[in-house]
Amino acid sequence: MQNQIAQYRKQAGLSQQQLADAINVSRKTISTVETSRFTPSVIIALKIAHYFNTSVESLFVLELDD
Amino acid sequence: MKQQDIKTEEKFISHNAWFSIFMACTFLFAGVYPILKQTNTAPWLSTVGPLLFITILIIFIAKGFSLSRLFVFTYKDEFLNTIDTLAYKHSGIALSFFIGGVYTTSDRFADSVSHATMAMFYITVMLLVYGISILWQSRD
Repeated sequence: MQNQIAQYRKQAGLSQQQLADAINVSRKTISTVETSRFTPSVIIALKIAHYFNTSVESLFVLELDD
Repeated sequence: MKQQDIKTEEKFISHNAWFSIFMACTFLFAGVYPILKQTNTAPWLSTVGPLLFITILIIFIAKGFSLSRLFVFTYKDEFLNTIDTLAYKHSGIALSFFIGGVYTTSDRFADSVSHATMAMFYITVMLLVYGISILWQSRD
């Protein structure tokens, strides 16, 4: 599963730590989600989407093998 | 959950990983030393004891371990909890393979290695794999 979190974060001018602080997760969570090494729970996905005022579907994109 | 709690957890798991690796090296040394020196006396009191004490002291001074976290076996942060669980699984699998290897080849070195030494090797494998797994999974 691909995601657009890094793009949204950079557009907002935030560091990984600032985004992590904003949604109460560890910086490693943001780092590994951005690189698609960790698939977050629905709760974290919704928190990120709410923070960027967008939908989960616009942040996360399913691939054919998912 | 407060952000401070998450930062404490991040710090704790990182220190925990390095502590596991250090302890694995210590146990490995304590296991190999008597074999190399052809003696039954492990250097616990003279070497391992002070090393263990100094390590624990350094970790406490660095505030990586807080007493409140010492007996908590889960992390509140989702990612840290996931990698911790996976590290335990890796550790268990590695131990299973190691015990399997010992079971199939133990006759070759049964006379020269005591049960106590083998126990130290088992602990070494578990600690080493746990520490490396945590560090590998939490890489940027």
